Amino acid sequence: MENIVEMKKVTKRFPGVTALHDISFDIRPGEVHVLLGENGAGKSTLMKILSGEYEPDEGSIVIRGKEFKKLTPKKSSDYGISIIHQELSVINELSIEENIFVGKIPRKRLAGISLIDKSSMHEQTKALLKNIDLNKDPSTMVGDLSISEKQMVEIAKAVAFNADVIVMDEPTSSLSEEEVNKLFAIIRHLKSAGKGIVYISHKLKEIKEIGDRVTVLKDGSYMGTQNVEDVTIDELITLMGGRELKNKYLTSHEGLISDEVLFSVRNLTSKDEIIKDINFELHTGEILGFSGLIGAGRSETMCAIFGASPKKTGEMMLNGNRLIINSPYDALQNGIGFVTENRRETGFFQNFNIKQNISIAKQLVQTRLGGLWGMVDFKDEQLVAETEQTAMNIKCASLNQQITALSGGNQQKVILGKWLAAGVKMIIFDEPTKGIDVGTKAEIYKMMRALANKGIGVIVVSSELPELLSICDRIIVMSEGRITGSFTAAEATEEKLVKAATVAMEAAAIGAG
Amino acid sequence: MEKTISMTNRKRITFNEFWDKYSTVSILILMALLFGALEPRAFLNGKNLIKIVEQSSITILLACGEFFAILLAGIDLSVGSTMAFTGVITAKLMVAGYSPWLAVFIGTLLLGALIGLINGLLINITHLPPFIITLGTQSIIRGLTMVVANARTVSGIEISFVKGIGGKIFGIIPTPILIALITAGILVFFTTQTQAGRNLYAIGGNTKSAWFSGINVNLHTAIAFMISGVCSGLAGMVNIARLAGAEPNAGTGYETYAIAAVIIGGTSFFGGVGFIPKVVVGGLIIGVINNGLNMVGVSSYYQQIAMGALIIVAVTLDRFFGSSNKSK
Repeated sequence: MENIVEMKKVTKRFPGVTALHDISFDIRPGEVHVLLGENGAGKSTLMKILSGEYEPDEGSIVIRGKEFKKLTPKKSSDYGISIIHQELSVINELSIEENIFVGKIPRKRLAGISLIDKSSMHEQTKALLKNIDLNKDPSTMVGDLSISEKQMVEIAKAVAFNADVIVMDEPTSSLSEEEVNKLFAIIRHLKSAGKGIVYISHKLKEIKEIGDRVTVLKDGSYMGTQNVEDVTIDELITLMGGRELKNKYLTSHEGLISDEVLFSVRNLTSKDEIIKDINFELHTGEILGFSGLIGAGRSETMCAIFGASPKKTGEMMLNGNRLIINSPYDALQNGIGFVTENRRETGFFQNFNIKQNISIAKQLVQTRLGGLWGMVDFKDEQLVAETEQTAMNIKCASLNQQITALSGGNQQKVILGKWLAAGVKMIIFDEPTKGIDVGTKAEIYKMMRALANKGIGVIVVSSELPELLSICDRIIVMSEGRITGSFTAAEATEEKLVKAATVAMEAAAIGAG
Repeated sequence: MEKTISMTNRKRITFNEFWDKYSTVSILILMALLFGALEPRAFLNGKNLIKIVEQSSITILLACGEFFAILLAGIDLSVGSTMAFTGVITAKLMVAGYSPWLAVFIGTLLLGALIGLINGLLINITHLPPFIITLGTQSIIRGLTMVVANARTVSGIEISFVKGIGGKIFGIIPTPILIALITAGILVFFTTQTQAGRNLYAIGGNTKSAWFSGINVNLHTAIAFMISGVCSGLAGMVNIARLAGAEPNAGTGYETYAIAAVIIGGTSFFGGVGFIPKVVVGGLIIGVINNGLNMVGVSSYYQQIAMGALIIVAVTLDRFFGSSNKSK
């Protein structure tokens, strides 16, 4: 089979680092070629060379037999290469059809004046959406769509302009199980239409399911390309240079969970009533998971507990004390920390160095009047940051480094360090390993277990079922703002969790029918 | 990998780093040298330099307040009007027979803080951008000033006040610059040493992260604008002392000078990055430009053109080489 794209011996250097060393990579029509590697392995750099964002220092790119020393974004797209980034680039303020045709709007002439051909745009979009099984009106605002639907729009856009190669950068990182299945169906459809798909992912299980060939990168070097069916997950992990991971976190610890209730929630309803009547208990030594589809109200529950969004009713007890929490400051004062889903938006301060990012919560607790009255304790700041750096193995050149210079995993450790430094008694993790490499994931799971063993409450919200199944002692499932199931580690299976997550919807469907 | 990067940086100081650290001072020195070369006698003599410093004191005071609005990625357009309003009220109180101390306490400090509080509360309640709110209050306050002063200069201010605030200490150091520098000094302490100052940088860097970290964003926003109001009040006080009268149209357009000083002083317009001493130097630069162009004999119309050009050049350089570029 002839390759659509062939990248030959590509090398890319940045000041002080060789990001890619002599990498060869090809894409055949009608295949899913998985690009695998830990964060920093060079996957994104390689794809940025393909999309024309970066110029390679050595090597060349051959597209349909034509050789290029370098590409530009325009050339790359003209030659049929389309990239769907992890952070989606759709425009929320435009409709689906306008998003798809942005920059290439179909035109018609009326009395010599060039006008937008709305009906043609509408019809073309309708056909495209049908093609990818997205049941929406083309004039729907993209801002009103869910993340997975936005992703579908990007795929439709790639298909609309006859892309031969579609690169998907971690497409499932914000999708629920069901949405992932839907995405895979579309990928299979694209495959049968002869498109070449490059699939970038950390998730080894998905690779087995959807991939045809897999190329592994490690620290910018080429580790080999193999047929997916000829290789086991363990072999891939070894190639990535990662540690053996599977199910190691679930060592027997059931004896450590006591009957003592550390934290409890009674009749929690948010002011906007997106979540209703939430009741649960967290025992000392236990890791409690929250499962459900996106939009099930898991993050909203955590925000209400943490005081980040207003409550209508609800009673919370921590260590036998009744909590009154109306703001994150109250939560912090009462010993609750929250590692949010989006580090960049609600986690760290990009203008602060590592030290300042770690110390902020502790200093807020130490000073008075909500942090208004009190001095910055620079000595304590240094000490606390050093302690957390060692405890958590944060890899950085100096604590005075900007946090933006760190990898996602290390940033996550800094945010966790912020709460631990403040001496919290309970910590909520929302999608704690999103966009984090396999190695750091394992470290974070270990830390969670260590925290639980120390008697600190651990609540984990995650969309990745294997993650919940391997680290949690108990899993609560939510659907449409309510709790629809609760399973111990022993009883929980993926099937049961998925069933509980969709139960309310089925009921609603029956009710409507 | 990160280690090697920092090692190479230590060996060679790049233009970026140089710009980040010394941009403001470099501009000041360059400007002074330029005017010194063009007009050595009139510009570069002790008397004129003291005059520049004195003239800069109002810009510095306004800029110190404006700094806090910009630090929160906002802006305060009402500083010029607030300066006029507090000046008129302080003057009126003195004319009505209150002691200068009481007049300053009520008309300058309390009133300035109150105006800032209103700005802050309006921003918190409406969630509108500070630009809109302060554009509105700018006009409201200016109107109030005209009403209160009956559109006429308030004269007959207590002479001890004029001499005390608008004069010179030991016959050489202008009191206005001392007031400006002491204010700046207190604010340097506040921003670098106190937790509230740290919180303001946090909010400016990332409001949502600040909220999720337990910082009371509304409270701190109100405080930032109150500081801006008090600084404008102090500028108004200095202004009426220097002129021995309170003009209701004083400070018109001064928000431009204040914003320019803050930005030339390297404060990021995106919030969370800035340092008060550099803002003070920024205020001096504006003083040097205004004075220098006068000395060289350039009309005040061209001065406005020069000022505008400098703002654009300074921010452009900052965008590409400064810390706001790094934090992207």
